[in-house]
Amino acid sequence: MATAKHGQNQWVSVSVMGHDRPGIVAGVAKVLFENACNIEALSQTVVMGQFAMIVVVAPRKGSDAARLHADLEALAKATDLEIHIREVGPEGKVPFPTQETEPFVITVRGADRPGLVAAITAILAEQGINITRLSAEVVPAGQQMDYIQIYEVDIPKGLDFALIQKALQERGAEIGVVVDMQHWNIFRAINQV
Amino acid sequence: MLSSEEIIRTIEMLKNENLDVRTVTLGISLRDCVSSSCAELCTRIRAKIQRVAGQMVSVCDRISDKYGIPIVNKRIAVTPIAAVAEGLEQEGYTTVARTLDQAAQEMGIDFIGGYSALVQKGFTKGDRSLIATLPEVLSTTEHICASVNVASTRAGINMDAVVLMGRAIKGISLATGDQDGFGCAKLVVFANMPEDNPFMAGAYLGYGEPEAVINVGVSGPGVVKKELERALASGKKLTLGDLSEIIKKTSFRVTRVGELIAREVAEGLGVSFGIVDLSLAPTPTVGDSVGEILQSLGLKEIGAPGSTAALALLNDAVKKGGAFASSSVGGLSGAFIPVSEDVNLSEAVGKGSLSLEKLEAMTAVCSVGLDMIAIPGKVDADTIAAIIADEMAIGVFNHKTTGVRLIPVPGKDVGDKAIFGGLFGEAHILEVRNIECSAAFTGFGGRIPAPITSIRN
Repeated sequence: MATAKHGQNQWVSVSVMGHDRPGIVAGVAKVLFENACNIEALSQTVVMGQFAMIVVVAPRKGSDAARLHADLEALAKATDLEIHIREVGPEGKVPFPTQETEPFVITVRGADRPGLVAAITAILAEQGINITRLSAEVVPAGQQMDYIQIYEVDIPKGLDFALIQKALQERGAEIGVVVDMQHWNIFRAINQV
Repeated sequence: MLSSEEIIRTIEMLKNENLDVRTVTLGISLRDCVSSSCAELCTRIRAKIQRVAGQMVSVCDRISDKYGIPIVNKRIAVTPIAAVAEGLEQEGYTTVARTLDQAAQEMGIDFIGGYSALVQKGFTKGDRSLIATLPEVLSTTEHICASVNVASTRAGINMDAVVLMGRAIKGISLATGDQDGFGCAKLVVFANMPEDNPFMAGAYLGYGEPEAVINVGVSGPGVVKKELERALASGKKLTLGDLSEIIKKTSFRVTRVGELIAREVAEGLGVSFGIVDLSLAPTPTVGDSVGEILQSLGLKEIGAPGSTAALALLNDAVKKGGAFASSSVGGLSGAFIPVSEDVNLSEAVGKGSLSLEKLEAMTAVCSVGLDMIAIPGKVDADTIAAIIADEMAIGVFNHKTTGVRLIPVPGKDVGDKAIFGGLFGEAHILEVRNIECSAAFTGFGGRIPAPITSIRN
């Protein structure tokens, strides 16, 4: 088999998706370990039975890029998972944005309908507000089911927070949902010991 | 990482339950302003307040906007004026008061506290001047709050001061008779007055405090009540221990928000952060009442047997939650029962279920005392002094702060209503029984000695 070195200062991001079941993380971790890759960061979630994971690894001495690709492909085939591999250069490791920001939480609540996420995120994108975490779920609210989206966002310090809140709330009212925006520090203060 | 449930609960707490920061109080030392020239003293006081507090309102507004949490009142507390103006003759005190009043106006704040004297063991010339000018000052200024500490656990009760305060209250009431004696709402008579209390009318900057300091008063009777209601509606069988636990956790959350905001305001102004006072301070707004919490705890009428026990539970749970939330808890920290400012307490007085005697018992376990109580205008100065003496005894002998803020309403009697407006609400007049029976007792004067339990060294 041909050998290929990883690029200098390169990390590798491995994303894995598929139907959730026990053993997926173990399978991926085993391949990474056998290929001398150290896991730097990992995030995994399950949404309605669908497994998704992104792992960023640092290849150590003796790790071979071609073999890593081949082993992960073999794992994907054997387990019916989708596995994607990307090289991450030094610039890719810097989180966005680079300017100073304030962390906020935006919640959107109301009856479910298509286009809710699109409507809210359009405003965020327009203002250059980065989403660091987003989750959406359906929860019971009295007789009906409510759709709740929770965005954790970084808002650049130069922006007027009150204006953004107003824009979000107005858009929310148009599409029939309640939008609230609150600084992340408040949630931390109230909920963490 | 926060759970969705925590996030939603927090949003609910902020949006629907009247969580606010009740007051941000900037303490400013005026010790470096002292002069025996009245004009010079006033110039220095004004310059110092402008220098330290100039940005206060804008900084508070900025931080309030950032967090979407209202800072309801911005206030200033200063070194006791009895000491600051000690070098002046009595007429100089009213000039100093006018200067403070103007400074408050210029800073855009509603109250400035510290027209105060500490006389638990005796008077200086300045203390006497200050007390003598209270009727004039509180009837001719808008923003000044006054307080006089007449007793402490270490010193006992200065009955000469108690008698003087009874007369001062009558004097203020008459001087503000056209406003139903409202001037008296701006004066508290204290035992064991805290040096870092951010709440008016009793706020002043104590002698042990720094040059400038931010003390903050959080509130939240509405939040506590909603949490209790939610728990009770769940249908689970709850004991009073469980309810106490719910109050404690709620108090923790409220205190945390207060400290967060206080620290940022202090940083924004470049002054020290002092304390969070986590008192449950009611407002006349429906749903923001300590009385209502007592009703949630199962008392059909406030003042009914059980009221003192329920208030003790509430007061203690509030303190415990707050003490865990912050290492900088101070001020009064507990539950206030200002009668006219609390819709449900006020109604209980109107209905006759809450009497002065029951209120006095309740103050033995709450954090302040006989607060914002309108009484008939006919009650004589010596009876008022004797009511003060009783309340001071509760504080002195139980190692706690107690205060008295009585408002004799000229020309009105039981069955009438005094109308103050705004945060001060309106008040049914509370019956005072056995009037004109205590003058011989208070007339002895002198000092009620400190209790044996004060000797602790």
